[in-house]
Amino acid sequence: MSPVSLLICALGGEGGGVLTEWLVETARHAGYAAQASSIPGVAQRTGATTYYLEVFPVPITELAGRRPVFSLNPVPGALDAMISSELLETARQVANGMASPERTLVITSSARTFTTQERMQLADGRADAADLLKLVAQFSRAHQVFDMNALAKEAGTVVSAVMLGAIAGSGLFPFRREDYEAVVAAGGAGAQASLRGFASGFALVAQGRTKSDYLAQVLAPPAAAPAPPSQAATAFPAPVQELFALGYQRLVDYQDRAYADLYAQRLQQVLAAEREADPQGTHGFALTRETARWLALWMAFDDIVRVADLKSRASRLARVQGEVKAGEHDLLKVYDHFKPGVPEFAALLPQGWARRLTAWDRRRIARGRQPWAMPLKIASHGILGMAALRTLAALKWLRPHGSRFALEQRMIQQWLDGVVQGARRAWELGHEIALCGRLIKGYGSTNERGKDNLLHVLEHLAAGGVAGDAARAIRAAREAALADDAGKALDAALVQHGAPPRPVKAVPVRWVRKPRGLAADESPLKAR
Amino acid sequence: MEVSFSKEIESLRLGAGETFHGEGILAITKALLQSGVAYVGGYQGAPVSHLLDVMVQARPYMEELGVHVEACSNEASAAAMLGASIHYPLRGAVTWKSIVGTNVAADALSNLSSPGVVGGALIVVGEDYGEGASVIQERTHAFALKSTMCLLDPRPDLSVMTRMVEEGFRLSEASNMPAILELRIRACHVRGSFETRDNRPPPISTRALMENPAAFDYMRLAHPPVTFRHEKLKGEQRIPAARKYILENNLNEVFAGAHEDLGIVVQGGLYNTLVRSLQQLGLADAFGATELPLLVLNVTCPLVPQQVSDFCSGKRAVLVVEEGQPEFIEQEIATLLRRGDLQTKLHGKDLLPAGGEYTVEVLATGLTQFADRYLPAAGSETARAWLAGNQARRQAAAAALDKPLPARPPGFCIGCPERPVFSALKLAQQQIGNVHIAADIGCHAFGTFEPFSMGHSILGYGMSLASRAGVSPMMQRRTLAIMGDGGFWHNGLLTGVQSALFNRDDAVLLIFKNGYTSATGTQEILSTPAEDAKSAAADKGRSLVHTNRTIEAALQGLGVQWLRTVHTYEVETMRATLIEAFTSPFDGLKVIVAEGECQLERQRRLKPWLASLLRKGERVVRVKYGVDEDVCNGDHACIRLSGCPTLTLKDNPDPLKVDPVATVIDGCVGCGLCGANAHAATLCPSFYRAEVVQNPRWHERLLHTLRSAVVRALQPA
Repeated sequence: MSPVSLLICALGGEGGGVLTEWLVETARHAGYAAQASSIPGVAQRTGATTYYLEVFPVPITELAGRRPVFSLNPVPGALDAMISSELLETARQVANGMASPERTLVITSSARTFTTQERMQLADGRADAADLLKLVAQFSRAHQVFDMNALAKEAGTVVSAVMLGAIAGSGLFPFRREDYEAVVAAGGAGAQASLRGFASGFALVAQGRTKSDYLAQVLAPPAAAPAPPSQAATAFPAPVQELFALGYQRLVDYQDRAYADLYAQRLQQVLAAEREADPQGTHGFALTRETARWLALWMAFDDIVRVADLKSRASRLARVQGEVKAGEHDLLKVYDHFKPGVPEFAALLPQGWARRLTAWDRRRIARGRQPWAMPLKIASHGILGMAALRTLAALKWLRPHGSRFALEQRMIQQWLDGVVQGARRAWELGHEIALCGRLIKGYGSTNERGKDNLLHVLEHLAAGGVAGDAARAIRAAREAALADDAGKALDAALVQHGAPPRPVKAVPVRWVRKPRGLAADESPLKAR
Repeated sequence: MEVSFSKEIESLRLGAGETFHGEGILAITKALLQSGVAYVGGYQGAPVSHLLDVMVQARPYMEELGVHVEACSNEASAAAMLGASIHYPLRGAVTWKSIVGTNVAADALSNLSSPGVVGGALIVVGEDYGEGASVIQERTHAFALKSTMCLLDPRPDLSVMTRMVEEGFRLSEASNMPAILELRIRACHVRGSFETRDNRPPPISTRALMENPAAFDYMRLAHPPVTFRHEKLKGEQRIPAARKYILENNLNEVFAGAHEDLGIVVQGGLYNTLVRSLQQLGLADAFGATELPLLVLNVTCPLVPQQVSDFCSGKRAVLVVEEGQPEFIEQEIATLLRRGDLQTKLHGKDLLPAGGEYTVEVLATGLTQFADRYLPAAGSETARAWLAGNQARRQAAAAALDKPLPARPPGFCIGCPERPVFSALKLAQQQIGNVHIAADIGCHAFGTFEPFSMGHSILGYGMSLASRAGVSPMMQRRTLAIMGDGGFWHNGLLTGVQSALFNRDDAVLLIFKNGYTSATGTQEILSTPAEDAKSAAADKGRSLVHTNRTIEAALQGLGVQWLRTVHTYEVETMRATLIEAFTSPFDGLKVIVAEGECQLERQRRLKPWLASLLRKGERVVRVKYGVDEDVCNGDHACIRLSGCPTLTLKDNPDPLKVDPVATVIDGCVGCGLCGANAHAATLCPSFYRAEVVQNPRWHERLLHTLRSAVVRALQPA
């Protein structure tokens, strides 16, 4: 006979300590020997932490005074169960070898709390939930997966109560439901909510109706959003139609029908090139489909007119209301943070004026000043704020006459030419260049960096050597460009594929030599 | 303080025949009272913070008993407190985190150990070693050896741990040596129970004062020439007395086993891990009955030569299970065996790893080798298969993932006032180039993690300014030293500020004035806002650290001429101030005090206050930040400048876009950093600040109704 062991994985501040205490108390209440330990340390500050519990499954009264010796550490491969409030932490312990397919029951929340490392990436750095789940499935005797946070929220309690219910419901320990509930009920304030959370966790796990729904949901391909096939869309093959329709609609909303028609016309060029490169359509028109996506997004580049329009819609206010959970009788005030600078205003001015304005700002910067910008906090729930936003949004007509519009069209054409020419050399090359549209996003310096990177890649990698090599080089460069915002990885990838690194941009870095230079050095000890 | 110990304080009052249930470190606290301790001191640090925290919160009860409790300014001052036991029959206990705290205390410990003590002196150290550790892995054992102190390493069973506290005092008194009781992290946090005894009010106490000081006695000073005599006493009297006490009172435990020709010598703290490892090999049962005889050292220093030779003699081989390096115990046993000409084979670090935590898996790996050599019939196939299975699963799991799982180190709390300073520092460096950053111990050390990744070195608590003294003269640009107010009072004021001023160094120091030593659990310090400031504040959610100006006054008193105080949430001002410090023609120490109260403490005030306002139906404004999902560009620059746990990602609702958008989830405390960063860094315009007014006043509601009507008329769908 050996102890029943349980590893609890939680994040700092989630109540893992309370859960452990509940379990030890429950064991005592039920008359079993138990021991728990933990390594909280500074993990309390949002880091990952674990708690470990062992219970001897024979009542103390039947042990004839003998006391079991419990382990303080979880033993990899010798765990009876593992429960975790976060999917990545579950996977981490599985990868550490904790769970075994012969012995371990794994109960895990499907909820993810993204790590900083995942959140800070330029593109999508999130670990794939399906991969994590596969790991859990592969290395557990049985597993139960459900959203513990959602259950906790429903019950108006914290996740530890749901976890306790799940443990009880799994029948891991020889305790009765009443033992657990008695301990939770003795908890004072919040005990009722904890009991509700306990009950929902218990019910779900006891009935074993957890994982199948969730697994199906995660592993299923995302449902296709139905887009009404428009007249124009029929001009494209079926796989392209959905994204084309979305893109077309976006550009009508962004500017007007004529601009959307230009989109259709541009995409037709790409389609023609793809048909030439892949007459059988073996790639399912992926090139045109991806171009449809990135072209629409680039053509609908974000500017102050667009932002003002998006921020002043009624649907937006409703969304904010829901997000901040403002009650029916509460007043909601919304302040929008803007900081338009010279480039934002210059964007709407004709070329000559824009140049003069930008030159003035450059001179300021050269003198060591900050670029000119206007930090604003606009009260969009107020009349003046809303009027200001609507006035800006009404400047849509000005956009096509502005300097930025001209610049963007020129660059878009450069990229599209690259896609078309690339496709003529090899379908793969055209496809890789089309995917580079992902580099274009955002505002201000982020947007400029993306465009610089794309054009540099086009110029130096698209034309080179064998088409297959060029395609591989472009893929590597694209992935590297999304690795860090300083572009270190991109430069390394460029050099590796025989292209020059991006030219060093003049950045006004101001550093000052310490006043106590070599020559001026008067030993302070001598002076004293 | 972050945690309230009202329940635990109750269990400190338990009397004879009752049962204590709870954490290891609190059981130790209870045992101190049962031992008649007269004074307790220490410096907080995981995993022993709770000992002092509970005692501080239980002050009224301590006064009832006559026990003096002192929250010391650092470990050196705690160790020096034990000086009371040099002359007087007072039992004293102090606590801190080892190895770092023991290093700080080392000077006082040497000077205490040399004259020796008459009253029992016990040092409870938390060993922050292995998984979850936050400090260097060095052994406290070395200090016990070099200063000739006793070292207890009890079996992690509450009844043994508490017994060793009482024995520790007696051992200290019997030998005149101070005693250290070391507890590993998991032992401090182990939940168990033990039979309590009545607390013993100390015979000499704050309620029963001594009338006169002791007579002058040069022998009680750690001064030559008497230190030569002390050195002789250590070897001739104290250690022998300690050995005698250990043997006579059975502090070490011998467990018999069927294989009498073999044996294991183990540190008490590793007993449970060893038993579980033996179970994995089928050499022990669930109740600890083992087939291999064990000598469990609840006292690891000094060893009792007679006991060790008795255990080893007649055995083919003995394995020493001793965590960490170097292997002091094993070396001493080797000497003993050689001197006694015992032919017992000695194993230890040849079969077990030199460094790192001894987990069940690590021990079992060594034990299979030991068993293979000496017990070939025992058959360790099951254990071997289990160990191989672990390795195979780890490899298979790694192979199943295309990249390693992202790490999750601890980080700044939601709303932490220190985060904005790192945002400002990141922005400032973009403007004036990167600087050498001397980091320090404390919450601000989280700035070394992503997304900031700042800090070139950490030399110790409060040591940042001192640690740049060799760097800054060698560098064209100025360097930055970062320190918390905890570190400032612990050490930084003297080792850093005083030294920089005396040497007229050209240095920049940033002090985080958040009012508490927060990483250890928000204990109060000299710069903590006073209680009356807290009760007088009309807005309980405001930072109140500006009400205490002790740090500024101390700096001015020392002669700091360039001193700026900046509220941490003013990212733009903080950036400008940092740049000013780095570029100013002022040649000398420049100090920026970054002011912003620890938000854990602020929330502790704020939450009940808001709840009471809502109960009374009064006006409350709740602030939350948000991101417009259709405006967010999915570049996540905002996250790279903040790292706040509530500023996270969600799938992009736009079917055309693929990268996830930023989103602010529930839990946002509306600290304002998102907005300040959006302005200071010219981020994208997707951030908004939402203010939800609960229980608005009637005129406010009327205005809102009218205003909303106009706004609605202006808005398109």
